[in-house]
Amino acid sequence: MNLLQILLVGLFVVFLALRLLGRRQIASRFARWTLLCLGAVVVLAPFVWLLAAVFKDRSVLNEYIFLPPFEQWSAKTLNLNNFRELFKGRPSLTGPVYFWEYVLNSTVYATCTTVLQIFFCSLGGYALAKYEFRGKTALTLFMLGSMMIPSVLLLAPLYKMVVDLGLVDSLAGLIIPGMVGTYGIFLFRQACLAVPNEMLDAARLDGCGEFGIYLRLVMPLVRPMAAAFCLICFLGNWNAFFAPNVFLHSQDKLTLPVVLNLYLGEFRHDQGVFLTGTALSMIPPAVLFFALQREFISGLTSGAVKG
Amino acid sequence: MSGKVPQRPSGRPRYKGKAPYLFLSPYIVLTAVFFLVPFVNAILLAFYETNGPRSRVFVGLANFVFLFTDSVFRRALFNTTVFALVSVFIQLPLSMALAMLLNSGGDRVKGFFRLVFFSPNLVGQVLVGIVFSVLFTPRYGLVNRAFQMVLRWGLEARWLSEPRLIMPAIVLTSLWLWVGFNMIYFLAALQTVDKTLQEAARIDGASPWQIFWHVTLPSMRHVVIFVVIMSVIGSYQLFELPLTLLSESYGYGADDAGLTLITYLNYNAFRCGDLGLGSAVGWVVALIIFAISLVQIRLGRIAEED
Amino acid sequence: MRFVSNFPYGRAPLWLLVIAIVSLGLRVATSRRREARPDLVVVTHTEAQFDAYRKAIPRFEREHGVKVQLQFANWASLQARLQNAILAGTEVPDLAEVFAGSLGFFTRGPVEDIGLLDMTDRLHSDGLDKRLVESRLSLWSTRGRVYALPHDVHPVMLAYRRDLVEALGIDVSKLDTWDKFVEVGRQVSRDLDGDGVIDRYMLDMRYDGNWALQVLLFQRGGQIFDQQGEVAFATEDTAQLVLWYLRQARGPQRIGYECGWGQPVVKALTDGLVLFHWAPDWRSWIFADEAPGLSGKMALMPLPAWTPGGRRTSTWGGTGLMIMKQTRHPDLAWALAKHLYFDTAELGERFLLTNILPPLKDAWNLPEFDKPFPYYSNQRIGQMYAALAPEAPPVYSSPVDDAGRLGLDRAFNRSAEYYARHGEAGLLEEIRAQLAAAAADVRRLAGRERILVKGTL
Repeated sequence: MNLLQILLVGLFVVFLALRLLGRRQIASRFARWTLLCLGAVVVLAPFVWLLAAVFKDRSVLNEYIFLPPFEQWSAKTLNLNNFRELFKGRPSLTGPVYFWEYVLNSTVYATCTTVLQIFFCSLGGYALAKYEFRGKTALTLFMLGSMMIPSVLLLAPLYKMVVDLGLVDSLAGLIIPGMVGTYGIFLFRQACLAVPNEMLDAARLDGCGEFGIYLRLVMPLVRPMAAAFCLICFLGNWNAFFAPNVFLHSQDKLTLPVVLNLYLGEFRHDQGVFLTGTALSMIPPAVLFFALQREFISGLTSGAVKG
Repeated sequence: MSGKVPQRPSGRPRYKGKAPYLFLSPYIVLTAVFFLVPFVNAILLAFYETNGPRSRVFVGLANFVFLFTDSVFRRALFNTTVFALVSVFIQLPLSMALAMLLNSGGDRVKGFFRLVFFSPNLVGQVLVGIVFSVLFTPRYGLVNRAFQMVLRWGLEARWLSEPRLIMPAIVLTSLWLWVGFNMIYFLAALQTVDKTLQEAARIDGASPWQIFWHVTLPSMRHVVIFVVIMSVIGSYQLFELPLTLLSESYGYGADDAGLTLITYLNYNAFRCGDLGLGSAVGWVVALIIFAISLVQIRLGRIAEED
Repeated sequence: MRFVSNFPYGRAPLWLLVIAIVSLGLRVATSRRREARPDLVVVTHTEAQFDAYRKAIPRFEREHGVKVQLQFANWASLQARLQNAILAGTEVPDLAEVFAGSLGFFTRGPVEDIGLLDMTDRLHSDGLDKRLVESRLSLWSTRGRVYALPHDVHPVMLAYRRDLVEALGIDVSKLDTWDKFVEVGRQVSRDLDGDGVIDRYMLDMRYDGNWALQVLLFQRGGQIFDQQGEVAFATEDTAQLVLWYLRQARGPQRIGYECGWGQPVVKALTDGLVLFHWAPDWRSWIFADEAPGLSGKMALMPLPAWTPGGRRTSTWGGTGLMIMKQTRHPDLAWALAKHLYFDTAELGERFLLTNILPPLKDAWNLPEFDKPFPYYSNQRIGQMYAALAPEAPPVYSSPVDDAGRLGLDRAFNRSAEYYARHGEAGLLEEIRAQLAAAAADVRRLAGRERILVKGTL
């Protein structure tokens, strides 16, 4: 019986004891918190492992699960070599390319696409929600149908199109095709449906233009959804792999996931550097999630709760 | 936002003006340029055999016939369906259980645990797959060592090369990723459940399980239906996770144990250059998802009528 | 600020907008000058080769007065890019280095459709086909024509912990057949501390067959595809191999254990968990790079033969240089390919950087190949690999290469499952049946592509 097993059995014994002693309330609270904490431990364990792996030296990566025992801490087992390797310039034809450039590429790609999508999808979603016009049903059906086709299938023809437009090997070639997404349109449609029609009519009577209504009246009302969508879209694009992998060629244009994958080649299989890069690339999404937690939750669930 | 059910705007007079068309024009233009041609291409290609852009032979339904007589495709269909069932019957109950455990906490505690359980989604599927392929290393991987310490089994378990363990490995990784994600839906829904109903049932002597099954769950039925449908649709599109976990065999895994519909598609369309077969698989997946969506609409209507 | 709180979309979108504009500006300001359109574009997927070609290209540029651009992409990226570009019919690099076994994708369909430059006649007129190791051209040929230039031979030896093996009193010169190897292996692979877990294994063997099985298959003269591109692994000889492999890797008296790749292999070597490892020339470099602490303790030996006096090596992998048919300067591209691969001035130095033996037989006389390697106990591994290279078996390719390998793996895994459940009873029949079924599956796939082929071989 090792320490972990003793701990688990001990917790269970405490729970049983509490119940038998008649303290049902405390017993159930105890059980509740224990289970939650155990769940959290299980979910966080890979992250802790990741963090430890970042600082472990290449030669002892598999020696210890997390960190070496205190006596063995030395420059040979724990160091910042992974960071050094990661921040070293990668060779390219126009000189070494550094890590911050890849971060910059990912930032440009993710933020520009998100901002553009917020604008275009909200426009489209509002139009679908609050207007009746010819071809509306057909368009909606087409949008739904287009979401059912696996996107992998469209990669090759899309690549051809991007090449024909001269946009290959550039961030623009990734951003422009990704400027509008049907998922976003439907999310905004869901949010706009809840805006009362009377407000819109009143604004029209006041002489407000259609775009003005959209911009000044409706958008402020769907801010939670916009914030939620920010996170969803940013997350998706920050972590996107397949399209950037195929569309970007030059070393200095790559985004983070693509470049991190390069560290796991056939010959130079540098797990430590890859894991360090992964850990660093988690920071912006985490910050964004932290800041937008509440709006994200309410925006995400409003679609589901209202049905 | 107002709490009333959104009105169907069918009673409103048709808006005469260009505004909706203008608002939707970016979508229409971009779709026409970047999506329509590939989309139509993909639909039609299913009836051809191609070799790159050069040769093209019309074969009618031969691709579909090939699919349904191919034991590998049937295995992909089987695997994907198993995964979908596992998602609904293991992953969602876990999410629900977590949501119920968390429901009684204070706001700050809720926020903290929500962040914790959602955090796996902050890493992309691709990176998760690669990281977990390291965690499943026999003898040294985190998962192997953890199992050994708690269950006294599994140090040498070859999660990614033993056919019987490959699907469980994929399931474990997907649980890690998505239990927290769905928990958020359920948590939000739980907060809209009428507590007085629950109290009334408790006073009437109902057990906690009965309260859950007869009071709580029905009040959450919109969300539950939504989450179930989204889960199933997502399961049928499972691609990046098995592809990166089993990257060596392009997502097939030993004895095709990790093969899903989309990895089958990817392999045939892109590794073998058989775009026609890939498109045929795309058809099958689209039809399955379409059928499931119909079920959702049906269920939604039934739920509405209650 | 009023603007901030009045921004219609909310705070988060505003922040993102600001970041987007700032980062875009930064990106534009720091973006690098696009190079003038080069005459030729070469892509490689290995850093060692990238470095080597970077040194070799300037001389070529000077001699021919042209501009050559060298790109680097890791294999998965490069493959995805090439495949998508070819599927979409768009521009591709003029020369691309690819791994063996990927030729199938590029040679699918009718011969006229193949997008690669046919090199057969050029090889012949330049006399190269005599100067290269013959069997290597098989990797890069289909339907009797050669479509890529071989980069290497990759003969396979076994790398082992010389100090531990000697301490056990094993004389490796006596291990010249697999039977003898297995016999010694059985005595070596034991549980040393009585905890029920075997602590020392003789040989690194993949649990699911895969490359280890293929290396052994080629050594025996077996093939996945034959010279005509037909499925060829459903033979009695292959069945016997699978039976042997199952016994050694999974049986009750097994000598094999899967070490994985990367760090776990290093650990297994350092701890002495597995004594013998597969070492094609490229992997001998990897061991030296990843486990420097074992310098002087390692050594190489040729593979044990299947029959006394039989072939003592195999082959594993390979890189080749393809020229795209749509290149604007085919003759220039051919000159560049020859320069990169067969310029003898460079080859000696390159060997020291990568341990990879070139297929050009004349180059093996260079002094670098005779150098003793302290890591491998001062063995002259260049000469050792060169001595084995002429025996490296051919490996024939087919448009459904991948499917062939997957089929063999499938048959192996199903046989392994049968073995686990029923032991040796009826195992050989099961193996034969599984091989036949897998071969039939691959033939079905190959049949699909026949629809496209109009009356070729």
